[in-house]
Amino acid sequence: MPTAPATTTVDDVLVFLTAALGTEVGPDDDYFATGLADSLFALELVTFVEHRFQLTVEVEDLAIDNFRTAARIIDFARTRSGAAAS
Amino acid sequence: MASATALDTVAVYQPDGVLPLAELPGLDELGEAARETCAQLGIDEVRADDTLGAFDLAGRAAQRALAEAGLAADDLGALILIDSRAPETLMSSSATRLQDLLGARKALTFSVGGLGCVSLTPALLAARGLLAADPELEHVLVAHGSKPPTPQRYRHPVTVSGDGGAAALVSRSGPIRILDIVQETNGAYWDLFHVDYRDRPTDRWREECGDLTAYSFKLAVETRNRLRAMYRRLLERNGLTAADIDCHLSHNLSAGGFRFTEETLDIKISTTCFDNLRQYGHLGPNDVLLNLHTELERGGLQDGQRAVLLSASPAAAWSLLLVEIGEGAATHYL
Repeated sequence: MPTAPATTTVDDVLVFLTAALGTEVGPDDDYFATGLADSLFALELVTFVEHRFQLTVEVEDLAIDNFRTAARIIDFARTRSGAAAS
Repeated sequence: MASATALDTVAVYQPDGVLPLAELPGLDELGEAARETCAQLGIDEVRADDTLGAFDLAGRAAQRALAEAGLAADDLGALILIDSRAPETLMSSSATRLQDLLGARKALTFSVGGLGCVSLTPALLAARGLLAADPELEHVLVAHGSKPPTPQRYRHPVTVSGDGGAAALVSRSGPIRILDIVQETNGAYWDLFHVDYRDRPTDRWREECGDLTAYSFKLAVETRNRLRAMYRRLLERNGLTAADIDCHLSHNLSAGGFRFTEETLDIKISTTCFDNLRQYGHLGPNDVLLNLHTELERGGLQDGQRAVLLSASPAAAWSLLLVEIGEGAATHYL
């Protein structure tokens, strides 16, 4: 179920990442740098972020720094939600 | 609305030589992760013949298309060669070489390319434009020979390339009507994949990805967004819904690539594509022609049914072709 961005935690993101990557990752682990990510994972990740945070990831959002760790995903989603709310 | 364009004949040529995946050149030079990725692509083997270049493959397919259409080369109004990824010689013209091989003396002849696996689309756009612009011109032959630019056929982490030729005779009417074509590009990725070739022997040429993360993430998600928008636009401007499309034929990169497209568009890619991928690997711009040819041979598309042919290239380019089987209303009104 979609939840408001403010109630989604890093742990929620880590649950998704662990399932999608098939291995445990930490909040600051860069799964792109370790070669775990492929294009199918990218699709799953962005779909998860869009659904969970109720936003649309546009081409201009696709800086890898927004998505390379669980902590950065939370930061990105909160920034986007804040921008949308302001 | 674009003027009427149809594929009169689609012909393919595959060399007899079979190269199993396990015998790919350079496989032993790959790291464990790359070898594992290669093994998971959904490709069992490719066709390969070191005695045939890209030009030979295009020529054989073109000759086969003319023979199957029952058309003399002299009757060709235009001939469009889709450029190979690595020309056999510089300065010379492969397009006019093909004109000479076929004996298509009257054919307006040129080549197109620059979009990798999507390069079939500019060829069809050019053919459609020629047919619309010149009422005296009746037949345009489009041909391509697909041969990987490097001795290593594996392009990490994307696909394995085989050898093969394909050709399509484009006319104003025919059994496969082209209802619409959409194409988009993003030049920011122009050299994401490249082969450095100057001042080094051919056996050291490699297909290299300049930024694997850009390929696996940024371009992947942009491809999702682009394909969704293009698919929606294609359907809307033709007054169709997804339920009106009977068959989706993709370019053949990998089984994962098919799943990516299926998830992106909420569609099913025809099993024909999976079968051709397994047997022939990736054949560049020829993939969708091969898949269409096989689908028709198998009886998977009947008169009145529609198919969407999807191509994408890391160049980066995307295209969708909407085709309908049968000659159209003119043959159905009786």
